[in-house]
Amino acid sequence: MDTVAEAAPADEARDALVATLGEALGDGLVASEVQPGVDVWVRVAADSWLAAGVALRDRCGMSYFNFLSAIDWQPSPFGRDMDSQVDGPEANDPGPMEWGTTGGEARFQLLARVHNPVTGLGVTVKADLPGDRPEVDSWIPAYAGANWHEREAWEMFGIDFRGHPNQVHLYLPGAFEGNPLRKDYPLLARRIKPWPGIVDVELMPGDDDSADDGEGDDA
Amino acid sequence: MGLVENGKLPKPLTALLNISRKYSLWVYQWGLACCAIEMGAAFGSPRYDVMRLGVIPFPASPRQADLVVVSGTVTDKMAPAVKRLYEQMPDPKYVISMGSCANCGGPYWDSYSVTKGVDQIIPVDVYVPGCPPRPEALLEGIVLLQERIRSEDMGERWNGDPIVVS
Repeated sequence: MDTVAEAAPADEARDALVATLGEALGDGLVASEVQPGVDVWVRVAADSWLAAGVALRDRCGMSYFNFLSAIDWQPSPFGRDMDSQVDGPEANDPGPMEWGTTGGEARFQLLARVHNPVTGLGVTVKADLPGDRPEVDSWIPAYAGANWHEREAWEMFGIDFRGHPNQVHLYLPGAFEGNPLRKDYPLLARRIKPWPGIVDVELMPGDDDSADDGEGDDA
Repeated sequence: MGLVENGKLPKPLTALLNISRKYSLWVYQWGLACCAIEMGAAFGSPRYDVMRLGVIPFPASPRQADLVVVSGTVTDKMAPAVKRLYEQMPDPKYVISMGSCANCGGPYWDSYSVTKGVDQIIPVDVYVPGCPPRPEALLEGIVLLQERIRSEDMGERWNGDPIVVS
């Protein structure tokens, strides 16, 4: 069964969804990717963001709003990654950006996930937003449940949602300044202190510890 | 007991009262994160029965509590509520900070939103380390606090601050 599915990768339902969106948005549909039997991603222009939401709800039966969030694709200017134990003292050139599925063009990518509870299909919608002034139409006219998600994206990434009725802090204290999930947001504790957890890490038995302090190699 | 109101008592009476207070700690459970589950297991379960130590984990409000166990991650947004909770407790009052997060921020040591230790807001009597602490560790913390209560001069713990209702 698997080999047959691999030989003829086709997913009519998801292809039809992309076609419907392309029909509704025209040039607003920038890119799409269908993994047959797995999932579908579409990238729309920022101007078509609200139109995409309305089209998904009204023409594709995507009546269930799952979540809305954003990604800052810029690498950390402080050299912060999975392995770094301390931030660089100065912000430096973060290097080139790399985008995920369906690619990208700008620093911020808004993404939302909606589902069709009848067919079980879901779709992830993305939109590129420029780094200097990220701004987009609110999805509340299409999905009322987007309200709090947009407030979160606003406070964490500084993305302005046009037409949002109550764009105030959701999680952060009222007087908080800055957008903490932006990659260029400085974490001051990291400036003055290396990651303290590393002192607890011990080598597993059998791991090569010759590069360590040399203890135990005397025999 | 007009004598007790300022905490100044003759020494034998102080010792007697200290023993009484030590074995009747009403503890308010201020669970903020995953340590709250561990606290519930340590306080509520028959295996680590905490009432054998005279600790009663059922006050209806902080105004009836002698001890508060702050367990879990204190965020900057939650901090005013923690401070208000402490202010509402009647003197003499005690605080146990349970778990790495409440002690110092724990794994969120570099976070933008986590208060790096509840002792920045309220005075802490006993720190219980661990992520989460074992129930035995929490009970040990309570025993340590009881030792402190037994040997203290109640007058020194008496701030005399009125409870402000606002």
